[in-house]
Amino acid sequence: MDTVSLLKCLSSADSPSGYENEVLKVIEENIKPYVDSVRKHKMNALIAVKNGQNVKKLGIFAHADEIGFVVAKLEERGFLRVEPIGGIDPKVVISQRIKIFTKQGVATGVVGFLPPHLQKDDQKDKVPDYNDIYVDVSCSPLSEAVSVGDICVIEGRCASLGDKFSGKALDNRASCAALIMAASKLEIIKNRADVYFIFSSQEEIAGPGAVSVAYELGLDEAIVVDVTHGNEHVPQMPQIKISEGPVLAVGPVINREFYKVLCDVAKRHGVRTQIEPTPGRSHTDTDEVQLTRSGIKTALISIPLMYMHTPVELVDPRDVEETARLLALTSTVNL
Amino acid sequence: MKGVKALYLKELSELDGVSGDEGRVRKFIEEKIKDKVDSLKVDVLGNLIAFKKGTRSNRKFVLTAHMDEVGFMVTNVEDDGTLSFAPVGGVDPRVVVGKPVRINGELPGVIGYKAIHLQKKDELLASPKFENLRVHIGARSKEEASRKVELGDYISFATDFRSENSRATGKAFDDRAGCAVLMEVIEQEQRYEDDLYFAFLVQEEPGLRGSAVLFEQLQPNIALVIEGTTAGDDPGLPEHQWATHLGDGPAVTFMHRGYVVNKKIYESILQVAQKYDIKHQYKRRTAGGTDAARLAKTGGGVPAGVISVPARYIHSPLSMIDLGDFENTVKLVSNILEEGEGFAR
Repeated sequence: MDTVSLLKCLSSADSPSGYENEVLKVIEENIKPYVDSVRKHKMNALIAVKNGQNVKKLGIFAHADEIGFVVAKLEERGFLRVEPIGGIDPKVVISQRIKIFTKQGVATGVVGFLPPHLQKDDQKDKVPDYNDIYVDVSCSPLSEAVSVGDICVIEGRCASLGDKFSGKALDNRASCAALIMAASKLEIIKNRADVYFIFSSQEEIAGPGAVSVAYELGLDEAIVVDVTHGNEHVPQMPQIKISEGPVLAVGPVINREFYKVLCDVAKRHGVRTQIEPTPGRSHTDTDEVQLTRSGIKTALISIPLMYMHTPVELVDPRDVEETARLLALTSTVNL
Repeated sequence: MKGVKALYLKELSELDGVSGDEGRVRKFIEEKIKDKVDSLKVDVLGNLIAFKKGTRSNRKFVLTAHMDEVGFMVTNVEDDGTLSFAPVGGVDPRVVVGKPVRINGELPGVIGYKAIHLQKKDELLASPKFENLRVHIGARSKEEASRKVELGDYISFATDFRSENSRATGKAFDDRAGCAVLMEVIEQEQRYEDDLYFAFLVQEEPGLRGSAVLFEQLQPNIALVIEGTTAGDDPGLPEHQWATHLGDGPAVTFMHRGYVVNKKIYESILQVAQKYDIKHQYKRRTAGGTDAARLAKTGGGVPAGVISVPARYIHSPLSMIDLGDFENTVKLVSNILEEGEGFAR
C-alpha cells in the first residue's frame, strides 16, 4: 500500500482513547505480513515483533488513539451534549458532523450554530465552550438509540492537497503509518535488535498505555514516534517545518547518546532531520516510558504536522516515509 | 400533483455557487428545466428566467429563488503558499475553522487553526478572525500556489449532502431549498391561468442585487419569493425567540427587513394553506431580508409574498431542513398557482 492510501486507511478508523480496537485491527492487518508475531496487550495495545539477532530489545512506540467525545447529557427533541476526550478546541467543533457509536450502530448528528440573523450583540464575539455546544441528532434514524456514555468522533474527511495530505487523527496515525512502513523495510534491511512495534492506547488523556507495555517487555531502548507542530511560530523555538523531514527531540526526557546515534544514522543515510529543543517534559509517551523499571534509554522522533487536534490536520507524506526509513535504519545499528 | 421527492436538492446543495459565481448552479438548473418551460433566458447579471405561458395571461406572476450561497473570495496569496480570504455574504468566522473547502468548485483546501496546545488563554477565548485565517491547498510557496489559484477566486464549503430520518443536512439550503422548490413546481408540467416567470436569481446574499433588474425586464404584477429561512429552534435559544422551527411546514412571512408583505398576498397565502389543509407556520421574527424587499422598491414596485423552508444553522457549512416542510412548501406554492387569478385578487 502506498503512503497516502495507508494514511487514508488509518485516519478513517474511529478510535478515541480507550476505544482503540478499530484502529488496532487496521494496523494488525497491515503490519502482519512483515513481522514474526502480533499480539494484543490487555491495556488495548498491539505489539508486533520482528525478531533480530537476539542481542537487544528495541521498542518503537506510537499511540493509536485519537481525541473524541463522550455523550454526557440527552436533551429533548433530539439534542445532546458532549464532553471532550482529550484536548479539543471547542472552536473547531462548530458545524461538524459527529459520529456517535450507539449500541445499535452509528448515529450521525451535526453541531449547530445560531445564524448571524438571530444573534444578539453580546453573543457575537463569544467563543462557545462545551456548555454551549450541542449535537443535533434529529437527522438520524438512531437518534433514540443514543445514550449517555456513547463515544463520538468528529467525522473526518481525508483529502490530498497537492502532495500533502489532510485528515483527522493524523496525530498519531501518521506515526502508526511510519511504524508499519518501517516494519515493511525490515524484510530487506535486516534488523540487529529485536524490534517491538507498539501501538499504544490512551495517550491523548495522558492515561495508561505505553508504560505498562514498556514494563512488561523489559526494553533496552525505546523510540517514541509522535507528531509535533509544523509551520508555527513558537517564541524562542526554531520553526519546525512540514516537508523538511522527521524531527529529533533533545532534552532531559531523551537519552543524549541515543539521540546522537539517531543523528549519526540520519546523516550517514541522507535522512534530512530537524531538531526540537525540549527543555522539560515532551507531553508524549516518552516522558513516562523513560522512567519504566530501572530506566529505558529513550528517543523521540516527531512527524511535523499542521493544525493539530483539528479535523483537518495536515502532513507531508514524505515526512512519514523519511521517518519510516530512519526507524528501520536505526534498528540495524549496534546500539 | 405528482409526488414530491426533493429531486434536485442533493445536487443543488453540493454545487458551489457563491454570490457572483452562480454559473454551475445556473447551468444545472437550466439543463434540468429547459424542456419543461416555454422559453429561457439568462440576463446581464446572470439571472436565469424561465417562462411558462398562462391559459388566460391576464397577469404576470414571478416566482423567485436565489442561486447564490455565502462563501469566500481569495484576497491574497501569502509567501508561505497559504491563501488569505474574505467572506462573501454574512459568514460568522466561528463556523469556518477546521473545515474542508473547495476553490472554484474543484480545488480542495482546508481552513486550519492554531493547535489548542499553542493557544494562550486569551487566544483560547478569542473568536477567530478572518484576517488570521488561511486556506491551505498543499502549496509550499506563493509561486506554487499561484499556479493553481488567482486573486478573486471563489471558495465554498465542501460539505456533502445527506438525507436520513426525513431530514436533510448539507450546505447552502439558503437558498438552494428555494431553487429546488421551484424546480419541483416546474416538474409538475402544469399550465396555470397567469403567465409565469421562474426567476433563479444571483447575488441575493451581498444585498439583494440580482432581483434589482427583474422589473425592467418583466414588469410583473405579483411576485412570490421562496427562501430557505433561519429556524432557531435549537438549545441555544428559548422558544419565544425562535424565528421558525422544523417540522411544522413552510413559514409565511408577515414582515422582514425593509418590507411589510402586501396584506392581500399575505392573507391569500394563508387562505390557500387553510383551504388545502397544508401544514404551515408563521415566521415569528422580522430579522433578515429577502428579494421581496428589493422587488417592492424597483421600477414601479412589485407586491411580493415570502414563503420559506425553515432551516437550522444557515450561513454555516452544515444546515438542516425537514423534508416534510420541503414537501409542504412545494404543495403550498403549487396550490397558490392553481388558484390562478383568484389568488391575491
